[in-house]
Amino acid sequence: MTLAQPEGRPSIIPIRGVQHPVPQVEPLLKTELLWKVYRTGQVEVPALQGVTFEVLPGEFVAVMGPSGCGKSTLLHVIGGLAQATRGRVLVDGNDLTAMTDAERTKLRRHKVGFVFQRFNLLPALDARGNIALAQHIHGNGFDPHRFEVVTRMLGLTERLHHKPSEMSGGEQQRVAIARAIINEPKILLADEPTGSLDTKNSTLVLEMLRQLNRDLGQTIVMITHNPEAAAYGNRIVHMRDGVIVDGAPEE
Amino acid sequence: MMRELVLRNVMHRPVRTVVCLLAVAVEVSVVVLVVGLTTGLMTDTAKRIEGVGADVMLQPPSASAFIAFSSAPMPIKLREKIVQIPHVASVAPVLLQFNASGLEIVYGIEPESFRAVSGGFVFHKGHDLEQPDDMIVDDVYAATHHVRAGQTYRLFEHDFHVVGVVEHGKGARIFVPIETLQEIAAAHDKASLFFVRCNRPEETEAVMEEMKNRFRGYEVRPLKEYLSLMTATDLPGLRAFINSMIALAACVGFLVIFLCMYTTIMERTRQIGVLKSLGASDGYIAQAILSESATLCVTGGVCGIGLSVLLRALALAKWPNLTILITPEWTAGAMLIALAGGLLGAAYPTWLACRKDPVEALAFE
Repeated sequence: MTLAQPEGRPSIIPIRGVQHPVPQVEPLLKTELLWKVYRTGQVEVPALQGVTFEVLPGEFVAVMGPSGCGKSTLLHVIGGLAQATRGRVLVDGNDLTAMTDAERTKLRRHKVGFVFQRFNLLPALDARGNIALAQHIHGNGFDPHRFEVVTRMLGLTERLHHKPSEMSGGEQQRVAIARAIINEPKILLADEPTGSLDTKNSTLVLEMLRQLNRDLGQTIVMITHNPEAAAYGNRIVHMRDGVIVDGAPEE
Repeated sequence: MMRELVLRNVMHRPVRTVVCLLAVAVEVSVVVLVVGLTTGLMTDTAKRIEGVGADVMLQPPSASAFIAFSSAPMPIKLREKIVQIPHVASVAPVLLQFNASGLEIVYGIEPESFRAVSGGFVFHKGHDLEQPDDMIVDDVYAATHHVRAGQTYRLFEHDFHVVGVVEHGKGARIFVPIETLQEIAAAHDKASLFFVRCNRPEETEAVMEEMKNRFRGYEVRPLKEYLSLMTATDLPGLRAFINSMIALAACVGFLVIFLCMYTTIMERTRQIGVLKSLGASDGYIAQAILSESATLCVTGGVCGIGLSVLLRALALAKWPNLTILITPEWTAGAMLIALAGGLLGAAYPTWLACRKDPVEALAFE
């Protein structure tokens, strides 16, 4: 499968200036009446019930909502980790709902970066290995220049030879962010990235996400239930009971 | 990077890795030593039987060429019938008895007839068998068991008097009078085999033909090129024995690698989810798991060869007359068996890992 390239985003090196969403620009991410229904035996549990929303290139969108409202499911579906039951998901012009498992895997490899709440670093590898692994899977080999820029920007230069067990939560999450952006993904999906961090490290990580968005133009969709974290985004989308509740602030 | 990932994963759980390596090492050394022991024993026995100097050997029906496997006595009176065959110069009956404590075959012989067939012993010390309790040992046995002429030596719960030390290569390492061995083995007037010497070597074929006619069903074997007969395929049951041991060893390797990789995949469920989220294909994940398994097998195999050499040295220290041949062919063969078993053992866990749902894997506690 050849992934669509509707508008080739230039490399983030050299670092570009601020990018503001432009209304006329084609959305980088678009969902149309997206449904995801989980089946447990005879019981059907709808996690997403017709979600329709868009994310433009360069946006930093925070998706908020209470536990169980379908935030993580939405992230999994738009990231190609799970298949939608109904509806459409377009990522950079590619319809995920029409793709096979292997095609979605390829799309993730080239266009999507993930950051998880629990960091999910490989414990056997040090920080350098965890980041380089993503480059290896991507298939372009180790790019020392890109590696240097990303690790320096995330303040990891001195921690590259430490294993996850030897790093703080904040450091681990920064490694996870470096791993997620090392291949210049079109979109970065962050699932509660500060959920396992203290206030100081949460602020640090959120600042870095904002810097990535502001300085590199990285498109970010961040799931959170924390309003302070959501405030770092330049748009907030609210979810409840599997649907987007546009503009309605959380009570 | 793949190499680094595999090596780091191997080193991440040292106990698991050591257990795996040990299992593969044992598997490889079992194959190497079983084959080495049987091959060594066969080669050594064959060389010594060739060294007797006879032209033909007669054994009871269905007897093995590998005489260590059966004493299978037959009436000693057959000698009179063999002697009547044209061109037969001399016949020496021999009774075999296995000495389990020394893993050695003992020959019960008649000194005169054995001398006539073999041309006689070359004595380093002492003289030939004269009395019922006399015993002769070869120089290898004397050196390894610290036996010397003149001493009393207990064998088969019987006190023998060592009367001579002879040059090795005449069939066995220990020789006693056949009557005494018949008494010990409760095989009166029996012999396990007859060595036959022809008047001239070129008459061997004719003598063998006549023997086959007269002793139908009996095993008549030429001693010239006897070594070539001593292969596993020519020895009934031996090939099956070796194959069984190899299969058993391969099963051990397969099961250990299977269990090891299965538990590893379970433990790394979340990591597999991470790899999938990074866009790793099924092929990439399979390559990582199979490479890890192959690394364990090859490293374990190398350890197994080292273990084989060590065990061989220990066995030879305990039983100096043993011959264990560690050949390059079977060393490579054992490695291949271990590798094949390991990859097969890793196949199911690999399949399991590839079909894991990434969302469920990422949620795995």
